[in-house]
Amino acid sequence: MRYIRIFFTCINTAISKAAAYRLDFVLGNFITLLSNVIFPLVTVLIYANGAQFPGWTMWEVLLIQSVFSMSNALASMICGSVLWVTMDHIQSGSFETVLLKPLSPLFYIACANFDIESLGLFLGGLAMTIISASFTGISGGNGVIMFLLLFISGAAVMCGLELIMAAISFKWVGNSRIPEIFESIKEFGKYPIGIFPKAVQVMSSLIIPVAAVGFFPASALMGRLDMRSLISVLPCILFLLFGVWLYNRMIKNYEGVGG
Amino acid sequence: MTAIKAESLVKSYTTYKRGSGFKETVKSFFKREKVQINAVDDISFEIEKGSICGILGPNGAGKSTTIKMLCGALFPTSGSIDVMGFSPARDRMKYVQKIGAVFGQKSQLIWDIPPVDSFAMNKAIYGISDADYKKRLGEMTELFGVEEVIHKPTRVLSLGERMKCEFIMAMLHSPEIVFLDEPTIGLDVIAKNRIREAVSEMNRCGTTFILTTHDLEDVEQLADDVIIINHGKKVFDDTLTGLKNILGSKKIVTLTLTKPCTGDEINGARIIGRDNDFDISLEVDTEKQPITEFLKSLTDHVSFKDISVRELPMDMIITRIYSEGQNPLPPRWSVQQG
Repeated sequence: MRYIRIFFTCINTAISKAAAYRLDFVLGNFITLLSNVIFPLVTVLIYANGAQFPGWTMWEVLLIQSVFSMSNALASMICGSVLWVTMDHIQSGSFETVLLKPLSPLFYIACANFDIESLGLFLGGLAMTIISASFTGISGGNGVIMFLLLFISGAAVMCGLELIMAAISFKWVGNSRIPEIFESIKEFGKYPIGIFPKAVQVMSSLIIPVAAVGFFPASALMGRLDMRSLISVLPCILFLLFGVWLYNRMIKNYEGVGG
Repeated sequence: MTAIKAESLVKSYTTYKRGSGFKETVKSFFKREKVQINAVDDISFEIEKGSICGILGPNGAGKSTTIKMLCGALFPTSGSIDVMGFSPARDRMKYVQKIGAVFGQKSQLIWDIPPVDSFAMNKAIYGISDADYKKRLGEMTELFGVEEVIHKPTRVLSLGERMKCEFIMAMLHSPEIVFLDEPTIGLDVIAKNRIREAVSEMNRCGTTFILTTHDLEDVEQLADDVIIINHGKKVFDDTLTGLKNILGSKKIVTLTLTKPCTGDEINGARIIGRDNDFDISLEVDTEKQPITEFLKSLTDHVSFKDISVRELPMDMIITRIYSEGQNPLPPRWSVQQG
């Protein structure tokens, strides 16, 4: 109950922070939305020029990418700031201000830095999902339930990735290039998995299950899900749990800076 | 009653030695020499409940590392800390509920919003009831004189105003022990005095304070006990009076002479300051010669038109302890060590 109260107080604070710079908030949302809209535009252009992803229509691919955007936005809102805030605290030696709170440091950082600016991306992704789904059609009943399960799993993968990166920064201080590797890995989740070689399919389904971010939930919504894909829920949850464990473990490595 | 007990506390870091210049930089890219640094090296002390203890030391002495370990933010490499029955780093979640901390160089306020919103966040985090929050906030804002200030965005506040709000942030949940790491750094005299008065007032109400500072006035005006750390080791642990007496009962006598003086001493007292041959300062050891006798003898033998007598300044005592590497462990400490 206390944690829920803290969470909502933090949301309130995040809105206050965003409201402090209203134009920045509006522009930030708009730019994030725009940069994420441009990406599906590439898909539209590919199909408009007669090329395609074999076995997938333009709207089906757009649905995958829309769901990816939504999942990305949800993960950004919850723990998108964890990496940068942690890195900043470690470099400046101010992580003790986090450790002074009678809370899990991870929960505190995630709540206190709740990224309300990703709301625009989430709503944009939601709008695109609705439009794309209206063309592809939706599988009723189980499809929606499986979509929700896989969508949450996908967000868990994204959060797990953020936490692992943040955890690494305790040991490897100032590793601002590490996110680039993970950003590249995430790219695999934006496309139909079948277009990749087998090794990449296994990697993106089971090892770093980024396929669960866009492809699997969108497939479930369209009724094209291979039921064996549901097994990816397990590595997704494990990925998040590993991220949380690693982050908490690495806190012990915090050394501060000279006073 | 003991509030804090630290025994054989050690905090060591591993760092890498690197030379300067291109050749050394390239060399260090392939092979680096590991260096073990003991930021805190076998320190033990006890702090009484309800007291104000000043921890002093030059830059890099290990003060902040010590205070971070006491706060539970750093795990000691070895040794033990007991604060009100808690092991700070191990029992962090429960422990920090009972303490507060102000880091002079690290803000806990949220930059873009008014302090009152940051306070509201702490209210939720510490589970402070509405009634307690209202009462405590009223008391604290009145004590620090920031009733209006807390409604302005933090970024527009002056350093002094911000620091007062940092104190409120740290004190809202009524902590039993408060750690202050250089709380008056960069503040003007008025802000410093306001903060010192507030700390004294809170201490009278029973809060224990542990204070690290470079400002000796903070220590002189606030502290009951003083611990001095140098190169990670404890070099002094006693009362403030004990610190003042550590170099003997000495006083400074400043004279404006009517005739020039070029020697090293006057009337048996060493000259320790000389603006010119007329304006000089003497160090008088009152254990060897009571000050009244010295002044009487001085009046008989030396002609002067102005005189003042004052205590040996704290900074002089501290400088001597730092620079002479003295290890004047007081009896209290010696007894503990057996």
